[in-house]
Amino acid sequence: MKKTLKVLNELKQKGLIQDYAIGGAIAALRWIEPFFTQDLDIFILLKDKGKKEIIDLSPIYEYLKAKGYEWKGHWVVIEGVPVDIFPADPLEKEAVEQAQETEYEGIKTKVIIPEYLIALFLRAGRSKDYRKIEMLLEQCQINKEKLQKILNRYGLNEKFKEFKEKHYGR
Amino acid sequence: MRNSKNLKKNTMEDEQKFIIGKRILKRSDFFKEEETRKRKAATFSFEEKIKILIDLQKLAYKWGRKNIIIWKI
Repeated sequence: MKKTLKVLNELKQKGLIQDYAIGGAIAALRWIEPFFTQDLDIFILLKDKGKKEIIDLSPIYEYLKAKGYEWKGHWVVIEGVPVDIFPADPLEKEAVEQAQETEYEGIKTKVIIPEYLIALFLRAGRSKDYRKIEMLLEQCQINKEKLQKILNRYGLNEKFKEFKEKHYGR
Repeated sequence: MRNSKNLKKNTMEDEQKFIIGKRILKRSDFFKEEETRKRKAATFSFEEKIKILIDLQKLAYKWGRKNIIIWKI
């Protein structure tokens, strides 16, 4: 994990990406009790900000391939950790920008904060995502005002209401 | 009718008391303690949580999920 984060930081240092943050289950795990998961989701901001229909990740993939990292389906296995790399869309971009800087065994990294994770899991909308929302709401301090603003900006209010009605009966 | 009988039985079971050492606990006390434990686990360091995750991956592998990649710390 430590070496994996070092390689991800290298992508930033080499200018292949502008920034990145850990998202998905591992980001959730940063805020809630440990649970089983397999992959490390990384959201990246690319330097070229122009809107394109096809986002070219080849330079990143070539760089990692040249370093000897194997591809297993959608994952690239970096130092023994299966990593999914996602170019950030507008909500994810904001989540990366607002992510909390943290350290893992002395290596700097960024982790998406709970309010954005809730919005991202809500948008994904699978049952496993809803379970993580429940755990985030129950186990960590949520800035409700911040969450509300994110949900408003990305049109997720109705979905959140439905979630609360279904899971908490309100 | 059958459902309401089951409901009654379950409610009664919820009120069962257990003696553990000097403590008398109800099932609801177990649930409360579980919630407290979860909140405490949520405050573990990132490093501790990753170690626990790797233990879970090893366990899943041992129990037959051979396609699992066990992370390297």
